[in-house]
Amino acid sequence: MAKATPKPRRRSPLLRKAFPYLLLTPALLYLMAITLYPGLFAIYQSLFVVRFLSWTWTGFGNYSAILQDREFWAALGNTAIIGAISLSLQTAIALTIAYFAYRDPFIRGWRIVYLMPMLFMPSAVAFIWKLAFNDGRVISDLLMSLGLIERNVDWLGNIWLARMTLIVADVWQWTPFLFIIFVAGLQSQDQEIEEAARLDGASWPAIFWNISLPMMRPIIVVAVTLRGIDITTMFTNVYVMTQGSPGGATETMSYFIYRQGFRMFNFGYASAASVLMLILTIVIAQTVVKRAFRSGKS
Amino acid sequence: MPKPRKRRGESLILRYLVLGTWALVCMLPILWFLSIGFRPRTEVITPQPIYWPTFSLDAWHLLMSDWPIARYLRNSVIAVAGSVVIDLVLGIPAAYALARYDFKGREDIGFFILSTRMMAPAIVAVPIFFLFKTMGLLDSLWALMLIYAAINLSLVTWIIRSYMMDIPKELEDAARTDGASDLRILWEIIIPACLPGIITAAVIAAIFAINEFLFTLLIASTSRAYTMSVALANFTGGSDGIIYNAIALVSFIAFVPILILVILIQKHLSRGLTMGAVKG
Repeated sequence: MAKATPKPRRRSPLLRKAFPYLLLTPALLYLMAITLYPGLFAIYQSLFVVRFLSWTWTGFGNYSAILQDREFWAALGNTAIIGAISLSLQTAIALTIAYFAYRDPFIRGWRIVYLMPMLFMPSAVAFIWKLAFNDGRVISDLLMSLGLIERNVDWLGNIWLARMTLIVADVWQWTPFLFIIFVAGLQSQDQEIEEAARLDGASWPAIFWNISLPMMRPIIVVAVTLRGIDITTMFTNVYVMTQGSPGGATETMSYFIYRQGFRMFNFGYASAASVLMLILTIVIAQTVVKRAFRSGKS
Repeated sequence: MPKPRKRRGESLILRYLVLGTWALVCMLPILWFLSIGFRPRTEVITPQPIYWPTFSLDAWHLLMSDWPIARYLRNSVIAVAGSVVIDLVLGIPAAYALARYDFKGREDIGFFILSTRMMAPAIVAVPIFFLFKTMGLLDSLWALMLIYAAINLSLVTWIIRSYMMDIPKELEDAARTDGASDLRILWEIIIPACLPGIITAAVIAAIFAINEFLFTLLIASTSRAYTMSVALANFTGGSDGIIYNAIALVSFIAFVPILILVILIQKHLSRGLTMGAVKG
């Protein structure tokens, strides 16, 4: 679409044709080196039992073991459960806050307050919530003084409580990501349609549901897709806060691969898990993400 | 633009109640964590949480004496700045090609670049670890720089591409009739015209690089190449347990520059975070 060349100079047609590819080559080579090479390496390594320096051929041994590994399926399930709850919560909160904030002249100057959690290093955020929930017992203390509970809660003592601590940390840190995108989306939409509906006497929840939300759909899809991808890779919070406890109930896929590879040194096994996760990623990228970004552009 | 006036139904009380509550939710943990950084260690983990601690610079002295915090900070700055430079050098030409030329496979190449952003770090962690081990790059800032650059290249390319597409074609056409070459047009017209996009991309890439955790954890196995993010996770001080007040202080040292950078690009933030898909 962008090719108008009023004065083609000195260049041979071949070079002219090759030019965009030449511009892209360095970046593409670099990205291949960190995606294609590791991908192929992981596939190759997944066919071996790796014990430090000795590689023993096992064919699809790792794969058949992994597909029967309860911990693998648990990690997949945990990632899906924690991710789904966390993503729905932060989407709902971000939409609400964005809807109330986007045309408020007073809040406009203070928007940065709503962004702050996102600006902390994720490892620091994990420590904030580890201290608040577990080590410092602040959350228990606050809930007790509100009369909601009677004694200290062991947040790592129960599957759902432990998952909840991860969800709280993730929602707290990343709702701002969705918030700022939703604000931009709401601001850029045509105000006149809303105004007309308002003059017709429509109530604000009706306007929100029937006008603002549908108009924002492409933006919501893009933002939620990006956030959803990041949630499925959740690692830092698990590493710092729960280490997968209790009994693996908070182990995510990323943590499973890390533990198999770098704690138990089952590199072949970890690679097999990586390959399975890669396949899953490619499927999701080809379907959901491609569509999200196509519609987001127009 | 219709001015916001008093509206039937949507009451201001409800609005400020919701917004106020969420502002508190955002700020209170941060303020409380700040207070952790300036209290004596004995008041961090107590049977009963202490909300009004005595002021103390314990953590500061600890950082100055026991932890080479200056080195971690320097490591972070070198690795992050280096990675952003790599990203811009590779990403700007790629973005230019995607934004301004019509060629076979453009959509697919663009999507391939985008899709590298979808890859979970854990998927490539094991191979990258072995790769850097073979190259003798473990525990080096070069390795961190290369990894950070790789993680952010897709994002940088897509953000800059989006800004380049907004530049009116007439600007280039005039220069082209004057006989300027494509590379000169890129350098003298396109890059200055999309500078806000380049800065946005650089800032967002820098933030993601500062935050990167998994690879840094694997690659920087001794304190020689620790960055702020991973140094934090290692402030668990062995038999001393987790030294929270030092962690809090370090996290604020990293927070302030990020806050300043984000305030500078605040208007472009939503566009940058969606890799150009949402124009704020």
